[in-house]
Amino acid sequence: MDLALLSRVRHFPVRHHSPRTTAVLLKWLERVKPAVVLVEGPCDATALVDVLCDAQTRPPVAILGYRTDGTPSSSLWPFAAYSPEYQALKWARANGARAEFIDIPVGVSLAVDRHAPGLGVESEAPEGSAPAPDEAVPLTEAFARSQGFRSFEEFWEASFEAPDWSPEQFRPVLTAWADVVNAGPRPGYHRQRDAFMARKVLEVVAGGVAPDQVAVVAGAAHTAAFLAGDVDPKEEAKLPEAGPCAVTVIPYSFPRLAEQLGYGAGNRAPHFYQKAHEANCDFRRATLEVLLDFAAHLRMRGFSASLSDVLEAYRLAVTLSDLREKSAPGLDELREATVATLCRGDATHVDSFLWKSVIGHEVGQVASRIGQNSLQAEFWREVGERRLPRTDSPETFSLRLNNPVEVGSSVFLHRLRVAGIPYASLSGTGSSRKQGAEGEAGGYAALTRVRESWQAQWTPSTDVALVEKIVLGDSLEGVTTRVLQERLTQAKTTAEAADVLLESVITGCSQTVAQALKACDAHAATDADLPSLANAARALSGLMAYGTSRAHSDVGDEAVAALGEKTFGRALLRVREASACAPEGVPPVLDALRTLHEVALSQPRADKEGWLTEARGLMESHAVHPATSGLATGLLYLARELPEAEVALEVGRRLSAAVEPADAAAYLEGFLQVNALVLVKSRDVVKALDDFLTSVEPERFRQTLPVLRRALGALGATERRYLMENVMGVRQLKDKGRAVKAVLEEKDKATLKDLSADLGKALDDLDDLL
Amino acid sequence: MSDRVDSVQLMPDIRLPAEAKYKNELDALAAHDDKPRPPGWALSPRAVETYILGSPKPVGGVAITPKYVGDKGLIQVCIATLASDRALMLVGEPGTAKSWLSEHLSAAISGTSALVVQGTAGTSEDHIKYSWNYALLLAQGPTPEALVPSPILRAMRTGKFARFEEVTRTSPEIQDSLISILSEKQVSVPELGEVTSAQRGFNLIATANTRDRGVNEMSAALKRRFNFVTVPVVEDLEQEIQIVTKREAELRSDYQVGVPPPEELSRVLLTLFHELRKGVTKDGKTKVRTPGAVLSTAEAISVLFNSSILAQQFGSGTVTSQELAASLVGAVVKEQEDDVKALREYMETVAKGRTGPWKELYSASKKLLRG
Repeated sequence: MDLALLSRVRHFPVRHHSPRTTAVLLKWLERVKPAVVLVEGPCDATALVDVLCDAQTRPPVAILGYRTDGTPSSSLWPFAAYSPEYQALKWARANGARAEFIDIPVGVSLAVDRHAPGLGVESEAPEGSAPAPDEAVPLTEAFARSQGFRSFEEFWEASFEAPDWSPEQFRPVLTAWADVVNAGPRPGYHRQRDAFMARKVLEVVAGGVAPDQVAVVAGAAHTAAFLAGDVDPKEEAKLPEAGPCAVTVIPYSFPRLAEQLGYGAGNRAPHFYQKAHEANCDFRRATLEVLLDFAAHLRMRGFSASLSDVLEAYRLAVTLSDLREKSAPGLDELREATVATLCRGDATHVDSFLWKSVIGHEVGQVASRIGQNSLQAEFWREVGERRLPRTDSPETFSLRLNNPVEVGSSVFLHRLRVAGIPYASLSGTGSSRKQGAEGEAGGYAALTRVRESWQAQWTPSTDVALVEKIVLGDSLEGVTTRVLQERLTQAKTTAEAADVLLESVITGCSQTVAQALKACDAHAATDADLPSLANAARALSGLMAYGTSRAHSDVGDEAVAALGEKTFGRALLRVREASACAPEGVPPVLDALRTLHEVALSQPRADKEGWLTEARGLMESHAVHPATSGLATGLLYLARELPEAEVALEVGRRLSAAVEPADAAAYLEGFLQVNALVLVKSRDVVKALDDFLTSVEPERFRQTLPVLRRALGALGATERRYLMENVMGVRQLKDKGRAVKAVLEEKDKATLKDLSADLGKALDDLDDLL
Repeated sequence: MSDRVDSVQLMPDIRLPAEAKYKNELDALAAHDDKPRPPGWALSPRAVETYILGSPKPVGGVAITPKYVGDKGLIQVCIATLASDRALMLVGEPGTAKSWLSEHLSAAISGTSALVVQGTAGTSEDHIKYSWNYALLLAQGPTPEALVPSPILRAMRTGKFARFEEVTRTSPEIQDSLISILSEKQVSVPELGEVTSAQRGFNLIATANTRDRGVNEMSAALKRRFNFVTVPVVEDLEQEIQIVTKREAELRSDYQVGVPPPEELSRVLLTLFHELRKGVTKDGKTKVRTPGAVLSTAEAISVLFNSSILAQQFGSGTVTSQELAASLVGAVVKEQEDDVKALREYMETVAKGRTGPWKELYSASKKLLRG
């Protein structure tokens, strides 16, 4: 490699996303008028230069490189309008120069194992603001602090952005700074890229372009290495093999650009820098414009902020920068001046909302000719037609699922959710009572909703996912179907298959509805797991009740109903066996029993009689786990299948002295799990309880205490009150006992809360009936 | 009339004003100040900053001690504001060195910190503008000799800084008489047919207490004449120990009384203050009740100074937990009964479990807090 030739090429060192660098670079390009402009960026993205420079493309945009073999891996190379690399390309296009990227291809860069989190490939900012994991304070940060600055960013702004540099001064200064940063050991990866880029540059020269006609625009660290001849051609061989990949251009946004700070590819305040760029790097003007924005923002929120306040803030910012011997105010001065004048010394407004506007929330736009892939096109079309949020800031809205348009929106959003495309998340149902009960966005909970509240925010990762998912299908329905099919093949139990069935209905994927039904049937035949069967039964019962209309399935609701009946029947067959389980297996079985009870009562086509028989069997059996007997007793009582006297008798029998206290306690635990309020209201039941507790021997009592505590701990304040009242009644205590009285008098908020919970339950039941 | 005596803070020799106490520092800074000075300023903004924050290396052979320990940016905003035509409003919790800062800024920039109006509920417009020597007024009628200028008017005439302490203690109508002074920089004396315009170099530093917020809320019109700087409570324990130890030593040398308290007791005291202020112990494990009394840095200084006097005069000659507890109870428990509980609770739950001086503090306070 001819390193001497390399140094004869014209180099311009840059810092990514630096408006001053851009301004100086453009002046320099005007003077040098190169025939070829070589820019640091993945070389296989050269074909995209046309798209980047298209008049319709509006930064911030990013080159997206992603793997095409299904491995989820991608990288972004973001550009703002004020990024020197972007402006270098634009200049080349406008002046008839050839423009090319010269950095390692995307496939190689994806194959390199680095810990640049998320989107960052540009982690090698020459100025070294890249976080150094080993040391607490990076070199650059320490240097800035030693110079009396509060942060590296402040140092950079004051020393590099604010002064009106000429190209002659700027290039050596930036290269010298890069030399300082390079003084430490340089990561091998950067040296490998140095070698790659150097070869690319020399190839262009070998192709017949005079060295002084070639302009190389690259990060200052690379430039410094090129100029110093510190390039080892052998390093290139150490780069890994490229994986299969593709590149495209996607919109990017200012908030993401701000997030990238710390990986060397970001800005503290993109909107502020955009303003500075538009004002030809007049940072005073940018400060004034942002202050005017702030004042408008404050007025909009009802605070007073006059023009004279803005002038004063501006003057203060300029005076502060003079005092600090900076040539123009930067973000720090902007902030301090805003707090002192516009916010009257109180920083909370700045922190809570004003500062967001220096970051900005602009989303870029990519020229239509890049040909968005069909998923992106579908996404943007749907978002446009359905008037869903399209900015990079969270917005909430709710859908009423009683008209086809909003059901369509819901299907669209659920498809994105199932396909794993980050855009919207379900924030609630509008009525909080069901929240937390299910706590999930899809599944059975989604089926029963009449209203959905969503929070949506477009981020570049939305588009990244849309681009990556194209391997799974060319429409959202296709991708969702594929994802669900994969889940179906991996499903091992009836419940999992039923889940897929529900998701298929919710996302309107008719193809998988039929497949999932078949899978459910197949699994149910062999599935011995009661909880799984119970959940499947519930899912199917839900589908019977609410219909599969979303999916427009040709299977028909009859098929679902038939399967539902069958699954319920199969579940009943396993009740006895499953209930005779070891203590650690009890909780899921109890859940399953309650689910079955729910289905039996709410679903007319379920075999209610069969269930009641099974439940009676459980109640009477001593072979099953006592907790299941207790639960069955409670459920039967609740369903009015068991008169009060019989319950008291049954409870008394189960809690009698002859029974092992541990078993009795377990029985109690299961029993009290059912609507405890109704149970403790019955004096006979309470009497049986009381007799049991007083009859246990002290030694035994200690042993059963944990289980008892768990059983009685489930009672709420109101239930305890009823219990106490009844205990007093049973023992004829009347008004004795201060402690009891205290509990009784606690008729406050807890009672109301419980009452509203009762009401909620009642409404639920009503819902199910209607 | 006693107006004048009320409103002018008398400076007895027991406590020298900043400009006298740090005369050698100010002189040295002025002699070596080559930066441009705003009109009417005794020092350049940079030199003022050095005076307030101190300098690691001596200037002209004189060591510049830090007067304020904390954020450099905050001081710069203060100085930059004072160089403009807006007045400076220092706000913050009581005892965060607002007045201290205002005194030192005035001393450094104007060479005097004596032109002070202390805001009270009784402050009248006379204290802000001017009043009359009524004997002369009756004898001669309105003459310039009979006019008694307020500190603010005197500051305007001489192009110095005036200070207005605790603005929000004054009623809003009276506060608003500042508006014309701050916007037109003029005071008219219709009795004499005169208008006094401020000389260059005039400005105003006001302080207001955030605990008083709402007592006499300032009008929006007046607020617009000020830039606001919030002086924060010191969050850093080590920094606060440094401040308190230094200021307490200064007080001892000023008043020629007291014995130096041991370092570990200052640490105990400041830790206690921090924990009571935050409502949680240093390790974040125990919640403590926050008393209603203001637990400021200034309060800590006074507790420490007080206990050093107690030790010297009535104790063994060295400061022990005994003296600290005695002073502490007086400071934390001002009048509210609840504060006694809060402190007792703290002693029982936190101090009791700790070792060394904490143990002694616990047993010493136990007797005092009974009741």
